[in-house]
Amino acid sequence: MSDDQTLAEFWRIRNAAAVTLALTEEQMRRVVQTASVEQLVALFETFSPARSAGPEWTRTFDPLVEHLWAWGDSETIAAVAELFRARGLPWASVANALSPNQGDRLRAATPHPSWARQPAFGLI
Amino acid sequence: MGLIQGAATVDRLREEIQGVRYRDATSTFCRLMTEQDRPLKDMIKAAIASAAPYVQVPSHLMQLPNGELRGVNYDHTILGWRGAISLMGELGGSRGILPNIQAMWYVPQGLNVWEQVICEFPGHYARDGEQCGKKFPGPDESVNRFDGPAWNVPRIYFQDHDPIEGGSVDERLARMNWAISEGDKAEAYGLFLGLARDPVNRRRLKDAILFAGITDLQDTIINRGGYQNIGHKALRARALVDIADYLGWDNAHELFYTVVPDLGCSPRLYGLWSEICTICKMELPGYASIPKRSDKPLTERELDVLTEAIVWGGPFDVNAAIMGFFKRGAGILDVGDAVIACFQRYLIDVLEHPNAFLHPTHALDYMNVVQSWVRDYDNPHQVKAVFMGARFMNDTIRSNANFPRDPTFNLEPRAKYRSWADDIPIDRLLPVLKDHVLAQDAPRSCALVDSYLERTSERHDLLDTITYAACHWQNDPHVMRNGASSLEEFRHNRTSRRDDIIRGYVKHQSRYVKRAPTHDCFHVYVDYFKPANA
Repeated sequence: MSDDQTLAEFWRIRNAAAVTLALTEEQMRRVVQTASVEQLVALFETFSPARSAGPEWTRTFDPLVEHLWAWGDSETIAAVAELFRARGLPWASVANALSPNQGDRLRAATPHPSWARQPAFGLI
Repeated sequence: MGLIQGAATVDRLREEIQGVRYRDATSTFCRLMTEQDRPLKDMIKAAIASAAPYVQVPSHLMQLPNGELRGVNYDHTILGWRGAISLMGELGGSRGILPNIQAMWYVPQGLNVWEQVICEFPGHYARDGEQCGKKFPGPDESVNRFDGPAWNVPRIYFQDHDPIEGGSVDERLARMNWAISEGDKAEAYGLFLGLARDPVNRRRLKDAILFAGITDLQDTIINRGGYQNIGHKALRARALVDIADYLGWDNAHELFYTVVPDLGCSPRLYGLWSEICTICKMELPGYASIPKRSDKPLTERELDVLTEAIVWGGPFDVNAAIMGFFKRGAGILDVGDAVIACFQRYLIDVLEHPNAFLHPTHALDYMNVVQSWVRDYDNPHQVKAVFMGARFMNDTIRSNANFPRDPTFNLEPRAKYRSWADDIPIDRLLPVLKDHVLAQDAPRSCALVDSYLERTSERHDLLDTITYAACHWQNDPHVMRNGASSLEEFRHNRTSRRDDIIRGYVKHQSRYVKRAPTHDCFHVYVDYFKPANA
């Protein structure tokens, strides 16, 4: 901490970032809940090593899966998983991440404190 | 152990190695020592000599009929010996022989790699990686013919050559490095042999060969397929130096034949070296005079910054962090030690999938070659090698991160077992650790190490336990090589985080994918050498 900054100032800056993120998450909730199978498939396809914009993008795979299980519809997720399962080993990570077992585990493991607007997702 | 007929002889050992009869060759190797009191050093030389003509490939890139390229693996037989010789002193006594028996077990499986990858010769690559037994089964489908024995003689792709002499030492060293970088294997090898004859030249020759190996490194492995070497040129150079010093340079011709020609083999990759040379010229004009150690090692905050850059950042973050440390006066080994220590957080915290350890731990082994070069030799380019190692580590981490994580390979957190580990009396902990490494139970193994490190300052027996357990696993020289790197770097590391090297080491050895589920080679070792605490 530098001499001219107080702990309260650091906390204020952190809170501003958190508010921005919370508003973004609210937008994300709405689009995840209305996304079609085709739209979700197209999104997951961008995580292929051949199409990915790079490791920074691919590292957001796990948070995306968390969001989908928190807000998505189980039938839609199952349909997406089935399509990727049919594509074989190269897409096993996606299919496994969208399996019902993984969904149950993630839904149970992602805390949503009563004082928070949204579940406590991982960042990256 | 079955009854073995006939006398054990070096000729027999050679025939068994070249015939890919690895179980027989290992027994003969053991019998030569136990029944005939032949020195281990002589038997290692004999094994290296038997394999030497058959470990070269025409290229490490094979053009397929459709014009695409596939990679051809590097010889690993010599890397097993280098690791084994190094670990021999760490384990001590008859336990120190175990890694050598593992190296011997691998040698017959690692010949003729070019033919192995096209399923025309048996061995580890044909049997496991290429799954040739499924593609080209023999008459008895219950027997995998790619496990050996060989049905034809191995091919020789590079004949032995005579030494090239004449000219000053400076001139010949420069010619040799140019020949390596231009891919003139015969010239490079001949010059090496000529220079190696005179003991006066050997120190400079070792420095030059390490320089050649370290500078040949891909800039990225991301989506590159076989167009990379994952540090193997440097790893081979280090193997040459260590094993020649062990055997004696006048007794190491077959070792030179094994290693030197491959240093000039295709592809030769100098993109990263060029980049690092350019940025050092721009930002560190006095790089050649940066001291090895300074009185300004990295602070805790700087170690955090470097960890963030290597594990979570990109290549320019790594360049910037390291450049900053050198600019403010840190020494080469100060930064190199920090690179080794900071990288461990990736092993400790991030890696889960057993297959994903392979490339990052090659980068760790490469960085060990860099550090040993900096410690033991004086070369104006050494500061650049630290950038190279850190960039290699970062690139392998980014390459792994370019694949979505598969949740079926999740690991339980080590913290879950910490109180269990803390309840085990300290004098009973190491046998429990050995059992959990052998069970490939990473969370408990890591919790045990965390607990041990906090309860005692003893480290030798801890490292011995992890290493001995790791050396139970067969068919994989990477185990010995990584053991040698980790132990050496732990001994030399001066950062406050050196214990993280042990934490990373145990995670690796208790999680990394295994090439065989059984310990047949270990049992051969026990039968012949009867260690007290097997």
